[in-house]
Amino acid sequence: MVSPYSQFRPSFRCSRRSFLKGCGMVAAALGLSSEMVPSLVEAAASNTRPSVIWLHFQECTGCSEGLLRASHPDLASLILDIISLDYHETVMAAAGRQAEEALKSALEKGRGRYICVVEGGIPTKDGGIYCKIAGKTALELLHEVAGPAAAVIAIGTCASYGGIQAAHPNPTGAKGVGDILEGVPVVNVPGCPPNPISFLGTVLHYLTFKRLPECDALGRPLFAYGRKIHDHCERRPHFDEGRFAERFGDEGHKSGFCLYKVGCKGPSTYSNCPAVRFNDAGVWPVYTGHGCVGCTEPGFWDTMTPFYERLPDVPIPGDRGIVSSAEGAGKTVLGVTAAAMAVHAAVGIGKRLVKGSSKEKKGE
Amino acid sequence: MEYRHYQVWGVLMRLYHWAFVLSMGTLAVTGLYIHSPWSLTFLEDVRRFPVAEMRMLHFEAAYVFIAATLLRVYLCFFGSKYERIWDFAPVTPRNVKGFFMALGRYLYLVDTPSRRLGHNPLAGLAYILTMAVALFQVLTGLMLLYPESGLWQGMGAWLSITQQQARFYHHLAMWYFFLFGMLHLYILIWNENYHPEGLISSMFSGKKFHGPQEG
Ligand code: SF4
Ligand code: SF4
Repeated sequence: MVSPYSQFRPSFRCSRRSFLKGCGMVAAALGLSSEMVPSLVEAAASNTRPSVIWLHFQECTGCSEGLLRASHPDLASLILDIISLDYHETVMAAAGRQAEEALKSALEKGRGRYICVVEGGIPTKDGGIYCKIAGKTALELLHEVAGPAAAVIAIGTCASYGGIQAAHPNPTGAKGVGDILEGVPVVNVPGCPPNPISFLGTVLHYLTFKRLPECDALGRPLFAYGRKIHDHCERRPHFDEGRFAERFGDEGHKSGFCLYKVGCKGPSTYSNCPAVRFNDAGVWPVYTGHGCVGCTEPGFWDTMTPFYERLPDVPIPGDRGIVSSAEGAGKTVLGVTAAAMAVHAAVGIGKRLVKGSSKEKKGE
Repeated sequence: MEYRHYQVWGVLMRLYHWAFVLSMGTLAVTGLYIHSPWSLTFLEDVRRFPVAEMRMLHFEAAYVFIAATLLRVYLCFFGSKYERIWDFAPVTPRNVKGFFMALGRYLYLVDTPSRRLGHNPLAGLAYILTMAVALFQVLTGLMLLYPESGLWQGMGAWLSITQQQARFYHHLAMWYFFLFGMLHLYILIWNENYHPEGLISSMFSGKKFHGPQEG
């Protein structure tokens, strides 16, 4: 029997197979055991899909793009399948008055129960006039929509910490959601854009366990941002041994050596990129030969630039990497030994010459 | 019997000896750590790279060890009379005789001490063996240190050993040095006790205190 509900489901419903696959991937990213997958599936498949209101402020829609247009149709449809996306300016069909109606009814229907997703920074200078939608400033909209939400997810670095708008000199006084809202739980899923898995994991965690995932001091879920890029990067052995790309395109770069010296910010960036990777193709920047720019960290436009210069104060074992340093010391030791042998040989030859000539003298 | 001081070991020989001892000790300790590393997590912020640092120490000591080994090989041919290999390799009639004399003395079969200033040929054989093991350690070590270099890969192929076999033999051969070290110390003390000719101090001063020697 076809459930009466199914006719209201969006047409991008995914197959059961990809649905389960997606849940499995999220469970892995969350660090849950495979025994938890059924609970995840159950939560995700439940008919009471949580209402989601998605707000766009100062942003480029890259996060939505990253989420929905990834080479990952499964993931995108999984997301749209488990949540009821009641308001999303860039993907909804409605416009103008209809759109405002949709927002109003979603707000009324879901009061206190919906999830508010925020994409983009919020300008606060001059009364917030630098970003207005339907006559309301971003600040007003945020308070109106996110205030009564059950939980707020800030997607992307802009919504989390202000992003590029907040970069020096921050002309519009842009801020992240967490810096503005009070009294509402906010989870940051930063990244430029963030990995869809990290966002989906946060949502599914909420649906499954009825609470938000555990977060670090910067409000980022630990399951995705608990570890440094540098500490699970596949090029890490090269860093430790002192094998670096000195310039893009040089021998070291071609050999796949560590990108620290061409500006990789992995040593001070927390994210799951090397483990989860992007777009189903199993890639992430360092894999393709470009350093991490540190996009999940607050203020990375100011603190992680210049992007192509090395991060200061990163301890490299043995100063230059252990093999390189040991080689340096080794060359000195071998050189001194060779010199000692040469002196020894010279003295020996000299002695013999002296002896020889004195013998000659005696012979005379 | 008339005892007096004789100059036996040159400066390079003594330098070689201590470089060899210190580097070998460092290599054994760091090598054991690399073989089965452990960490105190509460020290993590002070010593952030325990394994990397141990490996670096190992590689640095390895270069000293290589230099020392090469130096000894050089002295085998161009050193002082007593440092040259023909003085102690048990291959000449004189040395073969000396070899059995020394063996007999250590087994308490004969009472007369060795009458030579340099190494007795039994010790000489042990040193030659040690040099051979040292060279083996150097070669397998370089093979492990430069796994991607064509030269060392080629040597591995020539010896028909894989990286993992090289690692295994490299580790196994370490135990030879422990064995050698123990025997070496025991024999030294034994000699100081029975024939006090200044064997230990000769490695600092180069001089031995000796009676009349055999030819
Ligand atoms: S510096 Fe970058 S490329 Fe190098 S090991 Fe760290 S994260 Fe990887
Ligand atoms: S690798 Fe670095 S710059 Fe790239 S997405 Fe991950 S955190 Fe951001």
